[in-house]
Amino acid sequence: MLKFLYFDNTCLKREVAMKSFRIFGGIICFLLGLAALAGGAEYPARPITLINPMPPGGTLDLQSRAFASVAEKIIGQPMVVVNKSGATGMVGGVAGATAAPDGYTLTVGSVNLTNAIEWEIANGRKPPFTRHDFISICSFTLSPTLLIVNPDSPWKTLGDFLKDAKARPGQIAFCSGGLYGMSHLPIEIFARAAGLKFRHVPYSGGGPCISAVVGKHVDFAMQYPPTSLPLIRGGKLKALAVVGKERLKSAPDIPCMKDAGIDAEYYGWVGIMAPKKTPQPIVEKLREVAKKVCSDKSFIDLIEKPGDEVNLLIGDEFAKYWDQESQKIGKVQAELAKEAAKK
Amino acid sequence: MDVIGNLLAGFQTALGLHNIYLCFIGCLFGTMVGVLPGIGPLVGISLLIPATYGIDATGAIIMLAGIYYGAMYGGSTTSILMNIPGESASVITCVDGYQMTQKGRGGAALFISAWGSFVGGNLSILGLMILAPLLANFATRFGPPEIFAVLMLAFILLGSLGSGSFFKTMPMIFLGMFLGTVGMDPLTGNFRFTHGVKDLYDGIGFVPVAMGAFGIGEILTVTEESLVRVIHKVRMRELLPTREELRASWGPIFRGSGLGFLIGILPGSAHVLSSFVSYAVEKKVSSHSEEFGTGRIEGVAGPETANNAATGGAMIPFLGIGIPTGPATAVMMIALMIHGIRPGPLFISEQPQIFWGLIASMYIGNVILLILNLPLVGIFINLLRVPFRILFPLVLIICLVGTYSVSSSTFDLLILLGSGVFGYIFRKLKYDLAPFILALIIGPLLEVSLRQSLMRSDGSFSIFWNSPISLTLLGVSSLLFVWNLITTLKPKSTWKKVLEQE
Repeated sequence: MLKFLYFDNTCLKREVAMKSFRIFGGIICFLLGLAALAGGAEYPARPITLINPMPPGGTLDLQSRAFASVAEKIIGQPMVVVNKSGATGMVGGVAGATAAPDGYTLTVGSVNLTNAIEWEIANGRKPPFTRHDFISICSFTLSPTLLIVNPDSPWKTLGDFLKDAKARPGQIAFCSGGLYGMSHLPIEIFARAAGLKFRHVPYSGGGPCISAVVGKHVDFAMQYPPTSLPLIRGGKLKALAVVGKERLKSAPDIPCMKDAGIDAEYYGWVGIMAPKKTPQPIVEKLREVAKKVCSDKSFIDLIEKPGDEVNLLIGDEFAKYWDQESQKIGKVQAELAKEAAKK
Repeated sequence: MDVIGNLLAGFQTALGLHNIYLCFIGCLFGTMVGVLPGIGPLVGISLLIPATYGIDATGAIIMLAGIYYGAMYGGSTTSILMNIPGESASVITCVDGYQMTQKGRGGAALFISAWGSFVGGNLSILGLMILAPLLANFATRFGPPEIFAVLMLAFILLGSLGSGSFFKTMPMIFLGMFLGTVGMDPLTGNFRFTHGVKDLYDGIGFVPVAMGAFGIGEILTVTEESLVRVIHKVRMRELLPTREELRASWGPIFRGSGLGFLIGILPGSAHVLSSFVSYAVEKKVSSHSEEFGTGRIEGVAGPETANNAATGGAMIPFLGIGIPTGPATAVMMIALMIHGIRPGPLFISEQPQIFWGLIASMYIGNVILLILNLPLVGIFINLLRVPFRILFPLVLIICLVGTYSVSSSTFDLLILLGSGVFGYIFRKLKYDLAPFILALIIGPLLEVSLRQSLMRSDGSFSIFWNSPISLTLLGVSSLLFVWNLITTLKPKSTWKKVLEQE
């Protein structure tokens, strides 16, 4: 072959050289094309962005970072959490819903998004996006709240509390970590299920709200186990009930609402979503990854050590749960919006 | 005493090579976070939490706490040198700190700021160590009526913040309070003055506003004159404070330590409030109060000490009973929870090695920061030698990147630039910007605490005098207000003096 190139005829030599160059070039192009095709099949080929619609800090941020840190080991590509906060999650939600549906931009969802979307609908506004703009990959936590009161309060059991609340409608005050948010809605759902009326003082954040119960500035609140259990154990708070169907694994002595015959349920969840038109193979792949992440020991530790529980709902299970939840929350929000309009 | 034994055990933990290393990393990163405008300790801590997954709980909290108090050291640097607040607690440092730089005393301002931070930091750890269990319960007694009373007192103290006339300060305060109402009303969920702009739903963030009004406003002002400006050569002698400056800062440093520590315990924007209050107090007690705003060392020493002392105070409710009162301590608590440690009322007795290890590491961290920051004074001051045509575009880029990196919001960039133009115009008109920024921060807190109190009491104002804390504080505020009124209405004694001298 090489000898062939050393022919004396320079013209021929050039021609042959050109030809071999073309063939060589062709092969390179073909190989590159193949590699590109293969790359398409081998999703992910580049880093994945995970939009967190809430600001840095907070449980949601940490749980999404925990998910990303374990997922990137499984997929072999970096997964970068980007905080795109604003308008109680709406700004980041829009960015996630309208991102290119190629599996490289995913969104962290939480019950906060349901709250915000349903609040918009309840007020007759068109939300900038809804759950139908997303394909559900998974949700990985599902935690109930605890009804917490000050240990010095006269109520020893949920029964005492219910009796007193019936006798004094609108007199007992509660606080929430934010209006129409994830520590306000469980109380509204509970109040409706038990036929009670309370006085609401919204606070900014869960910490200040718990502090208000400890300092006796309000009478009760509903907060999540990771932050309230240590204070219950330390004697600064007393839990009267778990707001849900089941008792907690980590504190089985606290009765749940169902024990008292009250049908009140509300769960904080965190999940991963992809834009609506994401191709099915990528969605399937992501669901596989989510399953692996949620059975990974280090991930379970990152979620459960703080006192939460990994509770995986994959794909359609999660979508179905989200539908049911949206209907329930939508109904309560509609009533709240009506009350707010009256004021 | 039990404290000494525990502290020694704590030092045993903290002096392990591994923990000293983590403490150093935290302090270094914290200083960087503080120096970079826009990025505050909250973002810094959140970003480094994943890095602590592989470390034990003690090491993790040592490192993250290092970022927290380290940021308070670094924050003053850009405030003093370039009039750009490095983070929100250093806004007020711009006022006199930057004037000192203009007079060639920037090095001294940086030196005193580091020294004050060191003293304030250590005194507040001392307070934290001895008083944590006691004061933690006290902190929860501050509900909406008490907070309202504290803010009212602060507001009246701060009425004298501006250097200009009453008629130029008040409009700025009202404007700040007005802008503070923009966004979703946290108590009813209604949108106020948003005009359908989604980016305004969360309100106007004061970090881009402060950076724009002070920093970019300054750049715009300087560009008018920079072409003929002689670059300031810094001599070694100017890096160190004079004996007079040192003497003048002792008072502010001690008062700042006390104020910062106490305000730090209260829920809310403790660091920002503590620095503003310290400035106002220094101005009140100083015999040269009319010179504030022209580069008095007290105006740097007090606030910079106070914001560091506030870190110790802010950790009291968090470590003492497990209730974080600010966003930065809330993130640190979550970091501990990831490691399976859940701070609660029993934290100190059940996890003594973590608590005392952390306390000891904070003493070590403060020494590290002092050693780190004093030589940095010499390096940073050289920034002033960089020609303006290079330095200011660079500063502009840092401001833009810093703002964008926090929220990834282009709207915040518009706010930054808009505030820059606003700052430039009002500077030309000789209006003070500090009262404006302060009102933007305190206004919403004041409003919310007032309305929360009234919601709790179903509209009865008696809630304010039923609580002994709020009754006392409101009483002091009224006295102060009356005193202010008398001194304002009285013919200006200083004018008299000036006239007599002439």
